[in-house]
Amino acid sequence: MRKTVLFLAALLLVLSAGFAQAGQKYRIGGATYGLVGEYMKLWATALERHPAVVQGLVDLTIFDGRYDASVQQSQFETMSSQGYDAILFVPIDIEAGAAAVATAHANDVIVVGSNTRVNSDLLTAYIGSNDVISGYMEAKAVIAKMGGKGNVVIIEGPIGQSAQIERREGNLKAIAEYPEVKVLEMRTANWSRAEALALMENWLTAHPGQIDGVIGQNDEMALGAVQAIKAAGLDVKDFAVAGIDGVSDAIMAVKNGEMDLSILQDAVSQAQGALDIALGYLVKDYQPMSDCWKDYPEMKWNGGKDKNYDVPWTPITKDNADEQWAKRQDLTAR
Amino acid sequence: MTATGTDQEIILRMVNVDKRFHGVHALKGVSIELRRGEVHAICGENGAGKSTLMKILMGVYAADSGDMQLNGHPVRFQSPRQALDAGIAIIEQELTPIPDMTVAENIFLGREPMTAGGLFVNYRSLNRMAQDVLARIKVRIEPTRKMKTLSVAEVQLVEIAKALSYDSDVLIMDEPTSAIGERETDVLFDIIRTLKTQGKGIFYISHRLKEIFRVADVVTILRDGEYIATKPTSGLDQDALVNLMISRKLEGQYVKENTPTDVPFLTVRNLRRRGKHEAVSLVLHRGEILGIYGLVGAGRSEFLESLFGVARPDGGEVLLEGKPVAHRTPYDSIRNGVAFVTEDRKNSGLALILSVKDNTTLTSIRKYHRGPFVNRRREMRDVLRAIDFFGIKTPSERQLVRNLSGGNQQKVVLGRWLLAQPSILLMDEPTRGIDVGAKREIYKFMSDFANEGNGVIMVSSELPEVIGMSDRILVFKDGRLNGEVSRAEASEELLMQIAT
Amino acid sequence: MPEEASAPGKPGKFWTIVWELRIAIALIIICFALSLATPYFMRERNLINVLRQVSVNGLLSIGMTFVILTGGIDLSVGSMLAFGGVVTASFVSNAFKDIPSINPFLAIFLGLAAGTLLGAINGVVISKVKVTPFIMTLGMLSIARGMTYIYSNGMPITDLDKTFLQVGQGYASFLPIPVAIFLVAFLIAWVVLYRTKFGRYVYAVGGNARSARISGINVGFIVFMVYVISGFLCALAGTLLTARTSAGLPQAGMSYELDAIAAVVIGGTSMTGGKGSLIGTLLGVLLIGFINNGLDLLSVSSYYQQVCKGMIIVGAVMLDYFQSDSDR
Repeated sequence: MRKTVLFLAALLLVLSAGFAQAGQKYRIGGATYGLVGEYMKLWATALERHPAVVQGLVDLTIFDGRYDASVQQSQFETMSSQGYDAILFVPIDIEAGAAAVATAHANDVIVVGSNTRVNSDLLTAYIGSNDVISGYMEAKAVIAKMGGKGNVVIIEGPIGQSAQIERREGNLKAIAEYPEVKVLEMRTANWSRAEALALMENWLTAHPGQIDGVIGQNDEMALGAVQAIKAAGLDVKDFAVAGIDGVSDAIMAVKNGEMDLSILQDAVSQAQGALDIALGYLVKDYQPMSDCWKDYPEMKWNGGKDKNYDVPWTPITKDNADEQWAKRQDLTAR
Repeated sequence: MTATGTDQEIILRMVNVDKRFHGVHALKGVSIELRRGEVHAICGENGAGKSTLMKILMGVYAADSGDMQLNGHPVRFQSPRQALDAGIAIIEQELTPIPDMTVAENIFLGREPMTAGGLFVNYRSLNRMAQDVLARIKVRIEPTRKMKTLSVAEVQLVEIAKALSYDSDVLIMDEPTSAIGERETDVLFDIIRTLKTQGKGIFYISHRLKEIFRVADVVTILRDGEYIATKPTSGLDQDALVNLMISRKLEGQYVKENTPTDVPFLTVRNLRRRGKHEAVSLVLHRGEILGIYGLVGAGRSEFLESLFGVARPDGGEVLLEGKPVAHRTPYDSIRNGVAFVTEDRKNSGLALILSVKDNTTLTSIRKYHRGPFVNRRREMRDVLRAIDFFGIKTPSERQLVRNLSGGNQQKVVLGRWLLAQPSILLMDEPTRGIDVGAKREIYKFMSDFANEGNGVIMVSSELPEVIGMSDRILVFKDGRLNGEVSRAEASEELLMQIAT
Repeated sequence: MPEEASAPGKPGKFWTIVWELRIAIALIIICFALSLATPYFMRERNLINVLRQVSVNGLLSIGMTFVILTGGIDLSVGSMLAFGGVVTASFVSNAFKDIPSINPFLAIFLGLAAGTLLGAINGVVISKVKVTPFIMTLGMLSIARGMTYIYSNGMPITDLDKTFLQVGQGYASFLPIPVAIFLVAFLIAWVVLYRTKFGRYVYAVGGNARSARISGINVGFIVFMVYVISGFLCALAGTLLTARTSAGLPQAGMSYELDAIAAVVIGGTSMTGGKGSLIGTLLGVLLIGFINNGLDLLSVSSYYQQVCKGMIIVGAVMLDYFQSDSDR
């Protein structure tokens, strides 16, 4: 009995998908945690430039979650009741989106997570980058420049956020491989450049001449540390400084030699990849349109039905900074 | 010491009460007794220790030494709450109603009757209880009215009802008539007589000596924290009482030496403000003190506010020496040489948390500006001049006004206006809550001021004051001018007749 | 200056003086304790660092002192800071494509004008329309932040003019320029508050607005002006922060109003207006700055920093309460 019901439901779904393909546009929502800050802006812009949107296959609406899980929840309710076909979801935190996903699931709306995972098995699929790896990569790079030994300080994100937890895990994993590297300080600056600036100034006072490397869990804070180093009259080139995300200012700082490394969190691939995955569930025999699958051969399409897609991190160093800068200019041009 | 002559039992006895405030000896071994059915007035100039004594009784302050007995048992209150529970209630000079609560809620605040189970307020029984209390003092106010809809006098009556609702044996009334008019005062005195027959004891504090003779049986006089005497009022007259209160002898309470001219100075034509007062016309002559009398709520203060530009009138004109002037804001009036001593020092007269100096030069400070900066030497010179002129008793010009007595606070207000060099002085209840000595100095100032060719308009609820100081008296009733009385024909009976 | 005179009935002169200087004494004790705890604290470089770190909050707190002295409050300082900073940045940025890069001093002038304008809007609505300061500036907190995002398109404005960056990173002889600007602003504010009639009127309006009005003071104008001053100083702080961080950050200044209010309150200024001093605010600003710095130097968790600051605020107000209580 139950099997029959399931079968009928599945049949209905297939049929309706078939009708949809026949002519109408797909309504897809981009649910961001908030449109302030460079990353989410790039993410939204990339979606708007996805070929499917440009060609008119998809009717895209971007939602501003205003850094509030309850706002996102009500936006999900709106989208579900208005008959959206799919939602591309960037939750504010790993624990904060499960209820929203359940709402969409109950209304048979496809939800593809992007950038930040949701603690829910109702998520249709997820595309993002592994924060543990980025934390590991940046710490490795800093230690490498220090010659495998010396003292580092770690400037952390807001304590308890999944990005902070995972990047810290990666940071410490790399440091554990080098017994001669010591962590002098590890404190939060809440992703804020101004806070990191004051923190680093005080550390430079407390540990004069002892700090060799700065691990910023994002670029903004790494840039704050760079400012503090300059303000103290020291040479930035004597420090190994790395951050994560690849914001424009950080690419610039790498170009100028003020930062050694920023790790690009690829907003374009995370956004466009998510849309491709969603369309893969909606359109029969869909072939992905975004360039991201070509950019990262190691990220396989696999018919679009994988549960997890891992967008690799791209280290931005002096070698590729110019190229990345040009790409960014293209994306932010209005 | 028991010169009262009554043989009623003693409810309350305070013996050798002594209190110092960090060096100031506020009470020097004062003793006092209160009997059942007795109205016991306490008299003295400001700073004599009346309020301190009552606050010790109420448990607000602790006495340094001395004993207190209530119904023969020694007591010592740590808080007003304990005093209330023991049957001592106070009606304070300053009213503290909660405007958005009803009369009944205010009376029984914190003691509301609850429904069974104690979850909800039983409003029916609350309103009935309030009705009973109000009926006991023959006051007709609906218990369900909001406090903010009541007049000041009605609020005062509610406060009295509240004090009575505790079924206290001892009632303290601190200047209960300062905010109400003659008619409400009569009502209050009727209430007091009723309470006497119920065997309550009442301490009565007032600056209005006439009231004391009307209502009190005995009077205790304090001077500079010292006990002077306790006498039955029947064996005293007003002059004798004043002489006990002040060490120096007063030659007549009022100082009136000005001679009015018939040169028109300020002319008001049909000045009106909707809902506050109807069209009022008057002429103030040079050298004249023009009195305005009326009951509370007759629109006298509101008229002064319209005239000074505190509130915008709806129509009418003001002429100064025949030339029309526009007083849209107080600033305009001040520029035209008008000053306004308001009725309520604390709410509209002074900034209590600022110093004597800052309060004194608030209006005149623009005169001391040299370029962008205040010339502080000139400012200080004027401040000291004002302090000196009015004999303001303050340890220094940096003292906060809050710490001064009422009379000295009023002198600061006068000093401020003096420095603005006005030629017309509007005064609303200029001597309210001020001791006898200071009153006299203020009268002298008014008289001297008028005599220099200036003009004074004085609003007052105290008949003797109006009659004693005015050259002419205008009487307000229900927001309009109801009559004019010359100095020669003025009498309390006549003024009351026009006012009611 | 109109520091309160000692009330009668206070314990001896010594304790009166201790009372007057309580914040300064607290500051000295904290500095002494920190210099024992860590050798780096008393170094010249660290003290200069602290001054530089407090200069932004210092500027906000000066404006906040004016506002609170009139009995008002300005919750929008953090947002006005961000707006002023972003506007300035837009005119000195080579990367901000909508607007050409212009002379940095002109750019600073425009940024300051932008913040002053927001302050003036606060002032007009509060003094003329009589919206309570709390509500109006709460609205402005959101409006100004939103305008900042709109103006900057939600992105940091980077690649700023090198001359401009000197404003935040350069030195005027031995003092960092932000510190020098803060000190100059403080001196000017002090003179305005204690040597002009305007300053006296600010106290009078907070002490008793009705009395001030009857004394011929244009109360509305005074109220208007304190919000203008606050807006101007916020924009100045925003400009300094932009030059210091090398970027016009639209998220800058989030919840800075709390630190500014805290500094003013710790400095002994009464939230009901009329009572307080600019020196007190300066000491409050330093107190917060030294505590943050000291706890950083000692590697104390920032969680404790917040608890510590909160306790100082409440403690300072409690002391005031006990004082006014004993005054009765």
